[in-house]
Amino acid sequence: MITVDRPTRTRSVASKQLFATVLQRQGAAVVLVLVVAVSWLTFPNFGTVDNLRDLALQSSFLAVIALGMTFVIITGGIDLSVGSVYALGGVLAAYGSQWGFFGALLLPLVACGLIGLINGFLVAKTGMAPFIVTLATLLFARGLLLAISHEGSTTYKIAADSAFLTLGRGTFLGIGYPVYIAAILFVVGGIVLRRTAFGDTVFATGGAENSALLMGLPVARTKMAVYTMSGVLAGFAGALTAAYLESGVTVIGVGTELDAISVVVIGGTLLTGGAGSVLGTVVGVLLRDVIQNIINQIGTLDSNYQAVVSGGFLLAVVVVQRVLARNRERR
Amino acid sequence: MASTARRTAVLAVSTTAAVSLALTGCARSESQNSAPAGGGPAASAAASQAAGPTCSIDQAGYPKIDPRSAVIGFSQSEKEDNPFRIAETQSIKDQAAKLGIASDHLLTTNAQSDLNKQISDIKSLLDRGAQLLIVAPLNSDGLQPAFDAAKAKKVPVVTIDRKVTSTPCTDYLTFIGSNFVQQGQRAAAEMVRVTGGTGKVAILLGSSGNNVTTDRTQGFKDGIASAKGLSVVAEQTGDFDRSKGQTVMEQLIQSNPDITAVYAENDEMGIGAANALKAAGKQPGKDVKIVSVDGTRNAVQLIANGGYNAVIESNPRFGPLAFQVLTDFEGGKPVAQNVVISDSQYDETNAAQKVADAY
Repeated sequence: MITVDRPTRTRSVASKQLFATVLQRQGAAVVLVLVVAVSWLTFPNFGTVDNLRDLALQSSFLAVIALGMTFVIITGGIDLSVGSVYALGGVLAAYGSQWGFFGALLLPLVACGLIGLINGFLVAKTGMAPFIVTLATLLFARGLLLAISHEGSTTYKIAADSAFLTLGRGTFLGIGYPVYIAAILFVVGGIVLRRTAFGDTVFATGGAENSALLMGLPVARTKMAVYTMSGVLAGFAGALTAAYLESGVTVIGVGTELDAISVVVIGGTLLTGGAGSVLGTVVGVLLRDVIQNIINQIGTLDSNYQAVVSGGFLLAVVVVQRVLARNRERR
Repeated sequence: MASTARRTAVLAVSTTAAVSLALTGCARSESQNSAPAGGGPAASAAASQAAGPTCSIDQAGYPKIDPRSAVIGFSQSEKEDNPFRIAETQSIKDQAAKLGIASDHLLTTNAQSDLNKQISDIKSLLDRGAQLLIVAPLNSDGLQPAFDAAKAKKVPVVTIDRKVTSTPCTDYLTFIGSNFVQQGQRAAAEMVRVTGGTGKVAILLGSSGNNVTTDRTQGFKDGIASAKGLSVVAEQTGDFDRSKGQTVMEQLIQSNPDITAVYAENDEMGIGAANALKAAGKQPGKDVKIVSVDGTRNAVQLIANGGYNAVIESNPRFGPLAFQVLTDFEGGKPVAQNVVISDSQYDETNAAQKVADAY
């Protein structure tokens, strides 16, 4: 895909192109490795088992949301509703826990999946911009959450003896269940994206939607599937969080959609669609939380620098993506 | 035996409150608020705490540490971009400096209104070796994982300003905060005083769905119930926000031109209301009386200038009390599970001289 059929291009352009591609795809991974290595040597508390364990656990919730977002962005879409849906999922899980483990799990998955399906249906069938459709469901989900929690004044608790709590609080080999759950979801997500016809259509939809349509690929169905998946995963992340917090906290998830989008893009997924990987998203999530952790380790640094660093990094990544895209157009 | 323990506790808390007042240099004549934890409505949420039980180091099973040489962690909940949070964080830092705690022994974090971040902040404070914790919780629910982590490391947690639903003395050591119902009652008393007990009152409510709003409303209504001449003619939310307070007030002046007094549940909305009244050609503080809760410098300055009537303080200076509680606890004294911080009060008689105390 990179060279071969363009004998006129000079070697230096080709290598520049290659460098930019590597930078965009693997830049975050390189930075992550560097940052981790430096902090490991600099901060005595960074490399401790406790700290790494906390880091992994903390990252797992956003990771689950960002997995769905990765698929949506690869199709060239965006899902702004995930923050609200995440919070709604948590409240519904806590509410559903009165009907036992499956109530706590199924209620948020079904409800949030439905919201995702509505997103997908409107985006795929009416051709409305994903931005505005999912902005509407962002408001809808937050409103629904406030309605069932009586404007946020009722926090549903999960009974201390509920089996559902284990999902968020249980540990295996000292590491929290949410970490394993997120890891399994990412492996499955990676296989679906890279090794299935569905995954191919996801890439084709974002890369060149018209060609995909001409080729007879099920573009509409694929879009509906990715938005539904994003809703289900956000709801599931909410349920996991509720199990972890032992209650359906109403104040979470504000702005989480932007966190999810930024980690996906930092991880090398093109905001314009057509390219990306779930592994990159893992790197993006980890990078975000490692930076946050380091700012805490430094201690004297204002926590607002977290946003400064993330913002600067995101900007750098988007600039590289733009340069890449322009180089491709020039070919 | 039990009554002796309780009396000791009451004594300890009164002493604590007195010490904190002396330290902050804002001892006030109105000391009814320094009353120790009791059946105050702040405590009524959890019935087990209503009677003012205490917690001692033997009971809680924590190791003995001298707070002056210990590593202390402070987790702030919201950005320090409003006067309350700025004053709160500063108070903790100032008190630590005053006690001679080395600056590298006070670790601070800010959760930026993100609950998940506050949990990881607290865990990271523990990982970095914090032996004592002061936490300003972002939310009443959801911090259990952080408390569990502290418990596992036998680190006592003092919570300030917002009360959590976890169990005191087990999940956390104690809660230090204002009594919001009492703030409402005191605002009502001021309202009765400045209006002479007659008038039509509009209430600018805080954000819906939190206990600060409900408590300040309930306390105020209870407080004015005895003044038969005062009636509440309108209640609308201004979301604790100045510009919303102003907009709501503009509408209220239109719909109820005969309003003679405003009770705003925070200073920002009160200042917004004052602006709206001015724009409508009325004189705030004279034609329409304004009483609010908070104690920010802007509002107190307005009282001094004659354009505002009274402010009941919601004290953000938790530093002295928090360290006092930790010192008492580590010294083996039982500490109350619910400590009420003393709130000051500003009116036309003291605003000019006390404006420097306001935050």
